[in-house]
Amino acid sequence: MSERSLVHIKDRRTGMLVEATLIDGVTREDVELAEGQWDPYLQKELARLQSEGVPRNQWPQHAHWNWRDKQKAVEGVLAYRMFGIEHSSEIQGLMLCVTAGKTGRIESQKGKPLVYVHFLAAAPWNLGSMSREPRFSLVGTVLITVAIQLSLDEEFDGRIGLHSLRQADEWYEKACGMTNLGSDPSAHDLKYFEMTPEQASKFLK
Amino acid sequence: MKLNLSKEWLTKRAEQEENAEVSAGVFNLQMLETDQAKHEHALAAQAAQAETENSRLAFGRLINLWRRKKKLRMDELAEKADIDMGELVAIEHDIHYTPEPRTVYQLAKMVGLSVESMLQLSGNSVVRDSMLGHEAVRFAARSESVEKLSKDEQRALEEFVKFLNEK
Repeated sequence: MSERSLVHIKDRRTGMLVEATLIDGVTREDVELAEGQWDPYLQKELARLQSEGVPRNQWPQHAHWNWRDKQKAVEGVLAYRMFGIEHSSEIQGLMLCVTAGKTGRIESQKGKPLVYVHFLAAAPWNLGSMSREPRFSLVGTVLITVAIQLSLDEEFDGRIGLHSLRQADEWYEKACGMTNLGSDPSAHDLKYFEMTPEQASKFLK
Repeated sequence: MKLNLSKEWLTKRAEQEENAEVSAGVFNLQMLETDQAKHEHALAAQAAQAETENSRLAFGRLINLWRRKKKLRMDELAEKADIDMGELVAIEHDIHYTPEPRTVYQLAKMVGLSVESMLQLSGNSVVRDSMLGHEAVRFAARSESVEKLSKDEQRALEEFVKFLNEK
Protein backbone atom coordinates (compact mmCIF):
# COMPACT_ATOMS: atom_id res chain seq x y z
CA MET A 1 0.00 0.00 0.00
CA SER A 2 1.35 3.39 -0.94
CA GLU A 3 0.26 6.62 0.76
CA ARG A 4 1.25 10.12 -0.21
CA SER A 5 1.35 13.26 1.91
CA LEU A 6 2.68 16.79 1.74
CA VAL A 7 6.17 17.77 2.96
CA HIS A 8 8.51 20.65 2.20
CA ILE A 9 12.07 20.70 0.89
CA LYS A 10 14.22 23.70 0.05
CA ASP A 11 14.98 24.76 -3.51
CA ARG A 12 18.58 25.92 -3.20
CA ARG A 13 18.42 27.96 -6.40
CA THR A 14 15.61 30.19 -5.13
CA GLY A 15 16.14 29.70 -1.38
CA MET A 16 12.42 28.97 -1.02
CA LEU A 17 10.65 26.06 0.60
CA VAL A 18 8.71 24.10 -2.01
CA GLU A 19 5.99 21.50 -1.68
CA ALA A 20 6.99 17.89 -2.23
CA THR A 21 5.28 14.54 -1.82
CA LEU A 22 6.27 12.04 0.84
CA ILE A 23 5.71 8.52 -0.48
CA ASP A 24 5.02 6.02 2.30
CA GLY A 25 5.29 2.65 0.58
CA VAL A 26 7.56 3.20 -2.40
CA THR A 27 6.40 1.04 -5.31
CA ARG A 28 8.42 -0.75 -7.98
CA GLU A 29 7.35 2.00 -10.41
CA ASP A 30 8.71 4.68 -8.06
CA VAL A 31 12.05 2.86 -7.83
CA GLU A 32 12.22 2.43 -11.59
CA LEU A 33 11.47 6.12 -11.97
CA ALA A 34 14.28 6.97 -9.53
CA GLU A 35 16.77 4.70 -11.24
CA GLY A 36 15.80 6.02 -14.65
CA GLN A 37 16.52 9.53 -13.40
CA TRP A 38 19.47 8.91 -11.06
CA ASP A 39 21.54 6.52 -13.18
CA PRO A 40 22.14 8.74 -16.23
CA TYR A 41 22.98 11.65 -13.92
CA LEU A 42 25.34 9.46 -11.88
CA GLN A 43 27.09 8.08 -14.96
CA LYS A 44 27.60 11.55 -16.38
CA GLU A 45 28.86 12.97 -13.09
CA LEU A 46 31.13 10.00 -12.37
CA ALA A 47 32.66 10.44 -15.83
CA ARG A 48 33.20 14.10 -14.99
CA LEU A 49 34.78 13.28 -11.61
CA GLN A 50 37.10 10.81 -13.33
CA SER A 51 38.09 13.21 -16.09
CA GLU A 52 38.79 15.91 -13.49
CA GLY A 53 40.98 13.50 -11.54
CA VAL A 54 38.85 13.63 -8.37
CA PRO A 55 40.11 10.82 -6.11
CA ARG A 56 37.72 7.88 -5.83
CA ASN A 57 37.44 8.27 -2.06
CA GLN A 58 35.72 11.59 -2.67
CA TRP A 59 33.09 10.12 -4.97
CA PRO A 60 29.64 9.78 -3.45
CA GLN A 61 29.42 6.44 -1.74
CA HIS A 62 25.96 5.38 -2.81
CA ALA A 63 26.84 5.58 -6.51
CA HIS A 64 26.42 1.85 -7.05
CA TRP A 65 23.43 1.08 -4.87
CA ASN A 66 20.83 -1.01 -6.58
CA TRP A 67 17.52 0.24 -5.29
CA ARG A 68 15.43 -2.05 -7.48
CA ASP A 69 16.96 -5.13 -5.81
CA LYS A 70 16.34 -3.65 -2.38
CA GLN A 71 12.72 -2.85 -3.15
CA LYS A 72 12.19 -6.34 -4.61
CA ALA A 73 13.85 -8.00 -1.60
CA VAL A 74 11.49 -6.39 0.88
CA GLU A 75 8.28 -6.11 -1.16
CA GLY A 76 5.35 -7.42 0.88
CA VAL A 77 7.37 -7.79 4.11
CA LEU A 78 5.45 -5.76 6.70
CA ALA A 79 8.47 -4.98 8.88
CA TYR A 80 10.13 -3.09 6.04
CA ARG A 81 8.97 0.40 5.13
CA MET A 82 10.31 2.24 2.12
CA PHE A 83 9.83 5.98 1.82
CA GLY A 84 10.57 8.46 -0.93
CA ILE A 85 10.31 12.17 -1.60
CA GLU A 86 9.03 13.34 -4.96
CA HIS A 87 9.14 16.82 -6.42
CA SER A 88 8.63 17.92 -10.03
CA SER A 89 8.01 14.29 -11.05
CA GLU A 90 11.49 13.40 -9.82
CA ILE A 91 12.44 11.21 -6.90
CA GLN A 92 14.56 13.42 -4.62
CA GLY A 93 15.45 10.81 -2.02
CA LEU A 94 14.77 7.27 -0.83
CA MET A 95 14.93 5.52 2.53
CA LEU A 96 14.38 1.94 3.65
CA CYS A 97 13.60 1.21 7.32
CA VAL A 98 12.96 -1.94 9.30
CA THR A 99 10.70 -1.92 12.36
CA ALA A 100 11.43 -5.38 13.76
CA GLY A 101 14.39 -7.21 15.22
CA LYS A 102 16.63 -4.22 16.01
CA THR A 103 17.34 -2.97 19.50
CA GLY A 104 19.37 -0.19 21.05
CA ARG A 105 23.14 -0.47 21.50
CA ILE A 106 23.64 2.58 23.72
CA GLU A 107 24.01 1.30 27.28
CA SER A 108 20.85 3.03 28.55
CA GLN A 109 18.85 1.82 25.52
CA LYS A 110 20.04 -1.79 25.37
CA GLY A 111 17.30 -4.25 24.48
CA LYS A 112 14.82 -1.49 23.64
CA PRO A 113 13.36 -1.63 20.12
CA LEU A 114 14.30 0.90 17.49
CA VAL A 115 13.69 1.70 13.85
CA TYR A 116 16.79 0.81 11.87
CA VAL A 117 17.45 2.86 8.73
CA HIS A 118 18.83 0.33 6.27
CA PHE A 119 19.49 2.80 3.48
CA LEU A 120 19.04 6.49 2.99
CA ALA A 121 20.08 8.43 -0.09
CA ALA A 122 19.39 11.75 -1.73
CA ALA A 123 19.19 12.06 -5.51
CA PRO A 124 22.64 12.70 -7.01
CA TRP A 125 21.71 16.23 -8.14
CA ASN A 126 21.14 17.11 -4.48
CA LEU A 127 24.63 16.07 -3.39
CA GLY A 128 27.47 18.54 -3.08
CA SER A 129 29.92 15.80 -4.02
CA MET A 130 28.10 15.13 -7.30
CA SER A 131 26.71 18.42 -8.39
CA ARG A 132 28.32 21.85 -8.66
CA GLU A 133 24.93 23.36 -7.88
CA PRO A 134 22.96 21.01 -5.65
CA ARG A 135 19.24 21.57 -6.25
CA PHE A 136 17.36 20.67 -3.07
CA SER A 137 18.22 20.43 0.60
CA LEU A 138 16.15 19.03 3.50
CA VAL A 139 15.74 15.65 1.77
CA GLY A 140 17.89 13.92 4.41
CA THR A 141 16.31 15.94 7.23
CA VAL A 142 12.77 15.05 6.17
CA LEU A 143 13.65 11.37 5.75
CA ILE A 144 15.30 11.20 9.19
CA THR A 145 12.21 12.93 10.64
CA VAL A 146 10.10 10.26 8.95
CA ALA A 147 12.22 7.54 10.59
CA ILE A 148 11.74 9.21 14.00
CA GLN A 149 7.99 9.57 13.40
CA LEU A 150 7.82 5.90 12.39
CA SER A 151 9.62 5.03 15.63
CA LEU A 152 7.10 7.10 17.61
CA ASP A 153 4.19 5.46 15.75
CA GLU A 154 5.63 2.04 16.60
CA GLU A 155 5.90 3.16 20.27
CA PHE A 156 9.70 2.96 20.12
CA ASP A 157 9.85 6.49 21.62
CA GLY A 158 11.77 7.96 18.66
CA ARG A 159 14.72 5.55 18.88
CA ILE A 160 16.46 5.05 15.53
CA GLY A 161 19.77 3.56 14.42
CA LEU A 162 21.78 3.56 11.20
CA HIS A 163 25.19 3.00 9.66
CA SER A 164 26.40 6.24 8.17
CA LEU A 165 28.48 6.47 5.03
CA ARG A 166 31.79 8.12 5.82
CA GLN A 167 31.02 11.46 4.17
CA ALA A 168 27.82 11.78 6.22
CA ASP A 169 29.25 11.00 9.66
CA GLU A 170 29.45 14.65 10.65
CA TRP A 171 25.87 15.40 9.67
CA TYR A 172 24.46 12.54 11.72
CA GLU A 173 26.57 13.44 14.72
CA LYS A 174 26.37 17.22 14.72
CA ALA A 175 23.22 18.19 12.84
CA CYS A 176 21.08 15.23 13.92
CA GLY A 177 22.63 14.96 17.39
CA MET A 178 22.96 11.18 17.21
CA THR A 179 25.42 9.20 19.31
CA ASN A 180 28.41 7.88 17.38
CA LEU A 181 29.13 4.35 18.58
CA GLY A 182 32.15 3.94 16.33
CA SER A 183 33.08 1.60 13.49
CA ASP A 184 31.08 -1.58 13.18
CA PRO A 185 33.10 -4.52 11.80
CA SER A 186 29.85 -6.31 10.92
CA ALA A 187 28.87 -3.47 8.59
CA HIS A 188 31.99 -2.84 6.52
CA ASP A 189 33.43 -0.74 9.34
CA LEU A 190 30.84 1.96 8.79
CA LYS A 191 30.14 4.04 11.85
CA TYR A 192 27.00 3.15 13.74
CA PHE A 193 24.85 6.02 14.99
CA GLU A 194 21.91 5.86 17.33
CA MET A 195 19.30 8.37 18.44
CA THR A 196 17.83 8.11 21.92
CA PRO A 197 14.28 9.30 22.76
CA GLU A 198 15.81 12.43 24.32
CA GLN A 199 17.90 13.13 21.20
CA ALA A 200 14.85 12.55 18.99
CA SER A 201 12.85 15.02 21.03
CA LYS A 202 15.67 17.57 20.79
CA PHE A 203 16.00 17.03 17.03
CA LEU A 204 12.30 17.73 16.49
CA LYS A 205 12.35 20.97 18.52
CA MET B 1 2.23 9.60 7.62
CA LYS B 2 1.77 13.24 8.49
CA LEU B 3 4.68 15.41 9.59
CA ASN B 4 4.05 18.70 11.34
CA LEU B 5 7.21 20.68 10.68
CA SER B 6 7.16 24.46 10.93
CA LYS B 7 8.72 26.60 8.21
CA GLU B 8 11.03 28.10 10.82
CA TRP B 9 12.28 24.64 11.83
CA LEU B 10 12.71 23.60 8.20
CA THR B 11 14.65 26.75 7.35
CA LYS B 12 17.02 26.20 10.27
CA ARG B 13 17.50 22.53 9.38
CA ALA B 14 17.99 23.30 5.66
CA GLU B 15 21.07 25.38 6.44
CA GLN B 16 22.59 22.51 8.41
CA GLU B 17 22.06 20.10 5.53
CA GLU B 18 23.32 22.34 2.75
CA ASN B 19 26.98 21.40 2.88
CA ALA B 20 26.48 17.90 4.16
CA GLU B 21 26.14 14.43 2.74
CA VAL B 22 23.28 12.43 4.19
CA SER B 23 23.73 8.90 2.87
CA ALA B 24 23.40 5.94 5.18
CA GLY B 25 23.36 2.20 4.74
CA VAL B 26 25.40 -0.85 4.05
CA PHE B 27 26.55 -1.59 0.52
CA ASN B 28 25.14 -5.01 -0.17
CA LEU B 29 21.95 -6.94 0.31
CA GLN B 30 23.54 -9.55 2.55
CA MET B 31 22.63 -7.77 5.79
CA LEU B 32 19.12 -7.10 4.54
CA GLU B 33 18.62 -10.78 3.72
CA THR B 34 20.06 -11.84 7.09
CA ASP B 35 17.66 -9.48 8.84
CA GLN B 36 14.76 -10.80 6.81
CA ALA B 37 15.64 -14.39 7.71
CA LYS B 38 15.91 -13.38 11.37
CA HIS B 39 12.55 -11.64 11.20
CA GLU B 40 10.87 -14.67 9.59
CA HIS B 41 12.48 -16.93 12.18
CA ALA B 42 11.17 -14.67 14.98
CA LEU B 43 7.65 -14.75 13.48
CA ALA B 44 7.76 -18.56 13.25
CA ALA B 45 8.96 -18.76 16.87
CA GLN B 46 6.14 -16.41 17.91
CA ALA B 47 3.56 -18.59 16.14
CA ALA B 48 4.99 -21.75 17.74
CA GLN B 49 4.95 -20.05 21.15
CA ALA B 50 1.30 -19.01 20.67
CA GLU B 51 0.39 -22.59 19.69
CA THR B 52 2.13 -24.00 22.77
CA GLU B 53 0.38 -21.46 25.00
CA ASN B 54 -3.00 -22.36 23.50
CA SER B 55 -2.29 -26.04 24.19
CA ARG B 56 -1.18 -25.35 27.77
CA LEU B 57 -4.27 -23.22 28.33
CA ALA B 58 -6.44 -26.13 27.14
CA PHE B 59 -4.46 -28.56 29.32
CA GLY B 60 -4.94 -26.38 32.39
CA ARG B 61 -8.65 -25.92 31.68
CA LEU B 62 -9.10 -29.64 31.09
CA ILE B 63 -7.58 -30.50 34.46
CA ASN B 64 -9.49 -27.69 36.16
CA LEU B 65 -12.86 -28.69 34.72
CA TRP B 66 -12.31 -32.41 35.28
CA ARG B 67 -11.31 -31.74 38.91
CA ARG B 68 -14.39 -29.60 39.51
CA LYS B 69 -16.65 -32.12 37.80
CA LYS B 70 -15.32 -34.72 40.24
CA LYS B 71 -15.83 -32.17 43.05
CA LEU B 72 -12.21 -32.44 44.12
CA ARG B 73 -10.22 -29.70 45.79
CA MET B 74 -6.72 -29.08 44.46
CA ASP B 75 -5.05 -30.71 47.45
CA GLU B 76 -7.28 -33.75 47.08
CA LEU B 77 -6.46 -34.21 43.40
CA ALA B 78 -2.74 -33.64 44.10
CA GLU B 79 -2.83 -36.32 46.75
CA LYS B 80 -4.83 -38.82 44.66
CA ALA B 81 -2.56 -38.32 41.63
CA ASP B 82 0.59 -38.24 43.79
CA ILE B 83 1.79 -34.95 42.38
CA ASP B 84 2.98 -31.72 43.91
CA MET B 85 0.15 -29.30 44.68
CA GLY B 86 2.23 -26.29 43.61
CA GLU B 87 2.59 -27.90 40.24
CA LEU B 88 -1.15 -28.45 39.98
CA VAL B 89 -1.77 -24.78 40.78
CA ALA B 90 0.72 -23.78 38.06
CA ILE B 91 -0.90 -26.16 35.55
CA GLU B 92 -4.34 -24.63 36.11
CA HIS B 93 -3.25 -21.01 36.23
CA ASP B 94 0.01 -20.42 34.34
CA ILE B 95 0.06 -20.92 30.56
CA HIS B 96 3.85 -20.47 30.55
CA TYR B 97 4.39 -23.39 32.90
CA THR B 98 5.55 -26.72 31.48
CA PRO B 99 4.77 -29.50 33.98
CA GLU B 100 7.12 -32.44 34.55
CA PRO B 101 6.41 -35.41 32.24
CA ARG B 102 5.81 -37.58 35.33
CA THR B 103 3.11 -35.20 36.54
CA VAL B 104 1.44 -35.30 33.13
CA TYR B 105 1.62 -39.09 33.15
CA GLN B 106 0.00 -39.25 36.60
CA LEU B 107 -2.76 -36.82 35.58
CA ALA B 108 -3.40 -38.68 32.30
CA LYS B 109 -3.84 -41.90 34.28
CA MET B 110 -6.19 -40.12 36.68
CA VAL B 111 -8.33 -38.52 33.95
CA GLY B 112 -8.15 -41.67 31.82
CA LEU B 113 -6.73 -40.08 28.68
CA SER B 114 -3.78 -40.92 26.43
CA VAL B 115 -0.42 -39.89 27.81
CA GLU B 116 0.78 -38.84 24.34
CA SER B 117 -2.06 -36.34 23.82
CA MET B 118 -1.60 -34.99 27.34
CA LEU B 119 2.16 -34.57 26.79
CA GLN B 120 1.43 -32.62 23.61
CA LEU B 121 -1.21 -30.46 25.30
CA SER B 122 1.03 -29.70 28.26
CA GLY B 123 3.85 -28.46 26.04
CA ASN B 124 6.14 -31.41 26.75
CA SER B 125 6.14 -32.47 23.13
CA VAL B 126 5.38 -30.77 19.81
CA VAL B 127 1.74 -30.73 18.77
CA ARG B 128 1.96 -32.86 15.65
CA ASP B 129 -1.76 -33.27 15.20
CA SER B 130 -3.26 -30.07 13.77
CA MET B 131 -6.75 -31.24 14.78
CA LEU B 132 -5.59 -31.52 18.38
CA GLY B 133 -4.29 -27.93 18.26
CA HIS B 134 -7.58 -26.75 16.75
CA GLU B 135 -9.73 -28.64 19.23
CA ALA B 136 -7.58 -27.44 22.13
CA VAL B 137 -8.13 -23.80 21.14
CA ARG B 138 -11.86 -24.39 20.69
CA PHE B 139 -12.07 -26.06 24.07
CA ALA B 140 -10.07 -23.33 25.84
CA ALA B 141 -12.29 -20.68 24.28
CA ARG B 142 -15.48 -22.39 25.42
CA SER B 143 -14.41 -23.06 28.99
CA GLU B 144 -13.92 -20.47 31.67
CA SER B 145 -12.41 -20.81 35.07
CA VAL B 146 -15.42 -20.23 37.35
CA GLU B 147 -16.30 -21.91 40.58
CA LYS B 148 -19.29 -23.88 39.38
CA LEU B 149 -19.16 -25.94 36.23
CA SER B 150 -21.73 -24.46 33.84
CA LYS B 151 -23.71 -26.61 31.42
CA ASP B 152 -21.68 -25.21 28.55
CA GLU B 153 -18.43 -26.03 30.33
CA GLN B 154 -19.71 -29.48 31.14
CA ARG B 155 -20.53 -29.99 27.45
CA ALA B 156 -17.16 -28.55 26.35
CA LEU B 157 -15.34 -30.86 28.73
CA GLU B 158 -17.29 -33.91 27.59
CA GLU B 159 -16.74 -33.15 23.91
CA PHE B 160 -13.01 -32.53 24.38
CA VAL B 161 -12.56 -35.70 26.43
CA LYS B 162 -14.49 -37.59 23.74
CA PHE B 163 -12.24 -36.14 21.04
CA LEU B 164 -9.10 -37.09 23.01
CA ASN B 165 -10.45 -40.59 23.59
CA GLU B 166 -11.17 -41.13 19.90
CA LYS B 167 -7.59 -40.23 18.86
